[in-house]
Amino acid sequence: MRLPQFTYQSPDTLEGVLAVLDEYRDQAGVLAGGTDLLVRMKHRLTLPKVLVSLKHLDTLSYIKETSGMLCIGAKTPIIDVIRSERVGQQAPALVQACERIGAVSIQHFRGTMGGNILQDNRCIHYNQSQFHRSGRQPCHKDGGKICYARDEADRCNSTCQSDGATALTALDAQLTLNSTRGERRVALDAFYTTDGIHPFDMQPDELLTQIDIPVVPGAVSAYERLSFRSAIDYPIVCAGVRLVPDPDDSGCIGSARIVVGAMGRSPLFLAQVSRSLAGVTFDDTAALEKAGKDAMNAAAAFAAHNAGAELAYRQAMVEKMVARALTQAAARPSARKAR
Amino acid sequence: MQTIDITLTINEQTHTLAVKPNDTLLEVVRDYLDLTGSKEGCGQGVCGSCTVLLDGHPVRACLTLALEADGSAVTTVEGLADGDILSPLQQSFIDHGAVQCGFCTPGMLISATALLKEQPHPDRKAVRKALSGNICRCTGYAKIVDAVEHAARPASGCPDCHTKDTGEDHD
Repeated sequence: MRLPQFTYQSPDTLEGVLAVLDEYRDQAGVLAGGTDLLVRMKHRLTLPKVLVSLKHLDTLSYIKETSGMLCIGAKTPIIDVIRSERVGQQAPALVQACERIGAVSIQHFRGTMGGNILQDNRCIHYNQSQFHRSGRQPCHKDGGKICYARDEADRCNSTCQSDGATALTALDAQLTLNSTRGERRVALDAFYTTDGIHPFDMQPDELLTQIDIPVVPGAVSAYERLSFRSAIDYPIVCAGVRLVPDPDDSGCIGSARIVVGAMGRSPLFLAQVSRSLAGVTFDDTAALEKAGKDAMNAAAAFAAHNAGAELAYRQAMVEKMVARALTQAAARPSARKAR
Repeated sequence: MQTIDITLTINEQTHTLAVKPNDTLLEVVRDYLDLTGSKEGCGQGVCGSCTVLLDGHPVRACLTLALEADGSAVTTVEGLADGDILSPLQQSFIDHGAVQCGFCTPGMLISATALLKEQPHPDRKAVRKALSGNICRCTGYAKIVDAVEHAARPASGCPDCHTKDTGEDHD
């Protein structure tokens, strides 16, 4: 499969990249690892006139800890996150998510953390070759007025199938976006627009530069996902959770964040279900399992026929993924200490 | 159309090539240099038959722009053998019958070579994980996993590890 034509630029500095983005705006595509972008270009789903390569921006590849934040450069390869002891200790859910992205030889050395967050929403009816799509009317995301994922839907029902986004939303991450106009920070759960066609609150001249994860003392996290094959495939359901112990040392959960991914147009932060876990002890298995059931009830309505699996099965599996992630997080040594 | 000069060290030979921006590393290796060992299966990063080593790490050549690989060292399946002497891994593939149609074999060999460089004696689980991005439609994987697992350390219970070519005519 040939790539479409484009011109290529690889500026040496961040300012250089931002200047190109400012000049070409939505005609420019940002190339980091390329494992998502180049596939979409081969399918003619996106046709940037200019590709701006981040090849020379090694300054955007780092993992460090500063003033209570774990900071990951947007261009950090997935493998560096997986192998980072610091991330493993502070944010194990992110390591678990990264281990499940694609396969070793697809994403891990070329794919980047920023690219995973900015992975475009997917739908089994949309992410197909040009030839496949030419056989029928275009869908909403393809510029048409039909949705093949949900009957008579007036909008796109693609889903965010990024492993990293779900884990990072559970970890309450924040993003730093740069442009020639300056720098701006946005919380990850506010970054998603819930619009399937334009899933990110991001201007065409902006570049994602850094991901910050707050380091919360005693917090535990976990990520679980379900996919057809254990590698290569995208998740059909996934869940990321973070549990913070009660500061009074009571052995109870102080606050929780439960996020369900690959169901809606963005990772779904289930605020009400999360709140219900406050005051519950870490070893209260019944409460953790009930939270799984509540999460299923809250998330089920968002699902559409867009991932190739039976809808009822995916909905039922939300309960399992959330309950497993919660049980796993609660069983981590630091949570046990809190008991 | 714009062409850009790049330098690639492929299987320890340095090449300077004028490539188009939309040429992938796979197209350059196959079409410019006639190294047709690396295969194009799906062309979208799923099957793994185009896997090459880029600076020692396994990557999909079909999803890597040639321009992005400028200045890097690339190893394709042609670079694994030393002249006519196969690498122990390649020999192990033959001994274990890990090749059927052979289309996935270059990718399997490259992914496995990368694993063995990091972990000379991997267990079965590590082998399966390292090969999880490579699809084979013939073998059912068992023989391939055997071949990689036993490449550096023949297993006592494995009959394929102890096949000695006696030079006799078998038909």
